[in-house]
Amino acid sequence: MEIKYTIQGLLIYIAIAAYLSAFVTSLLRRAKTGHILYLFGFVAAVLAFGYRWYHVRHVPLQNLFEVFLCLSMIIYPASWFCRRILRVGGYCADMLIGAIVLFPAGFILNAQPQRLPPALQSWLFTPHVAVYMLSYIFMAKATFQAISQLAGRQHQFSRSGGSCQQKDESNQRSENWCSPNPNENLLPPEQATYSIICIGFPLLTLGLILGSYWGKKAWGDYWGWDPKELWGLVSWLVYVGYFHFRYMFGKKYPRINSIWAIAGMVVIIVTLLWVNLSRLFPGLHSYAI
Amino acid sequence: MNKFRRAVMWVGLTLIILLLFLSIYGAFIGAERAKSFFNRLPLVVFWSAFLLLLIVGLVVFRRLVRVPGLLLIHSGCVFILAGAIWSSEPGHKLQKKLFGIDKITTGQMRIYEGHSDNRVILEDNKQIKELPFSVELKDFQIEYYKPAFLYIQTRDGQGWRIPVEIDTEFPLGPEFGTVKILRAFENFKITIEGENRKIIDDPQHGFNPALEVQFTSPEGQVTNRYVFERFPGHSHSEDKFLLSYRRVISDYVSRLRITKDNKVVAEKDIEVNHPLSFGGYHFYQHFYDTEAGQYTVLMVVSNAGLAVVYAGYWMLCVGVFWHMWLRHIVEKRTKKHINGN
Repeated sequence: MEIKYTIQGLLIYIAIAAYLSAFVTSLLRRAKTGHILYLFGFVAAVLAFGYRWYHVRHVPLQNLFEVFLCLSMIIYPASWFCRRILRVGGYCADMLIGAIVLFPAGFILNAQPQRLPPALQSWLFTPHVAVYMLSYIFMAKATFQAISQLAGRQHQFSRSGGSCQQKDESNQRSENWCSPNPNENLLPPEQATYSIICIGFPLLTLGLILGSYWGKKAWGDYWGWDPKELWGLVSWLVYVGYFHFRYMFGKKYPRINSIWAIAGMVVIIVTLLWVNLSRLFPGLHSYAI
Repeated sequence: MNKFRRAVMWVGLTLIILLLFLSIYGAFIGAERAKSFFNRLPLVVFWSAFLLLLIVGLVVFRRLVRVPGLLLIHSGCVFILAGAIWSSEPGHKLQKKLFGIDKITTGQMRIYEGHSDNRVILEDNKQIKELPFSVELKDFQIEYYKPAFLYIQTRDGQGWRIPVEIDTEFPLGPEFGTVKILRAFENFKITIEGENRKIIDDPQHGFNPALEVQFTSPEGQVTNRYVFERFPGHSHSEDKFLLSYRRVISDYVSRLRITKDNKVVAEKDIEVNHPLSFGGYHFYQHFYDTEAGQYTVLMVVSNAGLAVVYAGYWMLCVGVFWHMWLRHIVEKRTKKHINGN
């Protein structure tokens, strides 16, 4: 654990405090105050990312410290998009995700600026990493919905014909209590998981393809069998498996659908963290520590 | 869903899960072993079965043909797999057998500055094969970020990072005095003329970057030291400091010229991310002479099957975005338009 006594560190700690306060305030059913604090945390995260950009003089997506800054910044827009466009809840969880992803940036990871090695000096660097980060945030949200489904908080599904039956309408409101508008009509968790994965999966696919194209430009091979590439492929395959399983059985086995989604997130965490931090997987992506 | 279609779906799901676990296994064994593992005969059978199943799926499930997004996604995967099989080592062997196309799959060329060569050392069996044209290395350069840094560390772990600015004095605190960098060398050499030793920056062949550093103690005592990039942390036993000179490479540039039948047919400065394409091959900056900077090592890769793989990428990408994002937006707008009328 290391406290960062810098402007960068200060901005990170403000954002963490704001996200955590937003979470606690929302738990205490002060939804509007919670939302204002969440917005404040987002502004602090944007400033932290912008400051880093100014400091290192390239798009700060080179290492885990910068990637976590980016994730903390995009959680708010992803949250807003899911609630407004997809009608998916999980607002409180998003606040917590914001604080969780900033924690390693604030207390664990090294913030020493690094210069871009020749391989990273490509126009593909920013879109490849940014698209992956966006997809990861959506998949994290989908995982929360899948966990909610497994916890069986809102809906139970009839096994016959794969149709969805809402048993208790008052339960639906319980999901909305931390949303700024508690009366809005949100999707049930299984459906919400599917909707969010449908947003995240194209981004995951684009990230994989951009990475492959970049690999060809930089190292001569569009597929180098590097551990990070293979874990990236594994995460993509888990969601491919999810879509095929859901196509075969629809909502007949909602718990298995949710397990697919959670497995996807577990693999994403391995891809993002373990591959870079563990010495088990040395490879072309080792600079991203 | 009838029995046959259900069986196809189950086989598909099984192959996806199998590939998933094979990939996890591949990640644990490292890139080189994984590459050879995924090119072995049982895996060639697996890839072919995967490709065949995708084609069967497209024939059996009408929905995959009727829904444009799904058609693009699945046929994109067919293209990617077909292109990958075609561009693989077994694919190249098949091309040789069927069509007599004898191309180098992957290999390396070592070329010295001012020389040209057409011999490629093959990656798989280390044999030498010749290209139908020659590659000349006009010049090789390594570029560095500025400023470089001098790292100073005391024996009890205190440290400073000093930017390399000639004749600028930097304080090291009241205990250690100041430091000044007097000179930076690209190729440090000592020449002996009679009884005199002379230190020069030799513009001729060689690669020995160094700094001449002057320490002034708080008592005014002056000490000069040389710091070599290739020998970081080197010091004498009586020295207070461990010194390192570090430069961060920003780019490697090989200036290449390709000649065929004594005519220059292509010329390009290749860097990482900027390869040269010529005659069905891609040439990549791969390695260089770390001792003297006199030669470059290029990677030569065949471009067979690449266009098919890229076509598959486009189809998969357009298909997945259309099916999951865009078609919903278009449908909503169309509904709105109809309701409006």
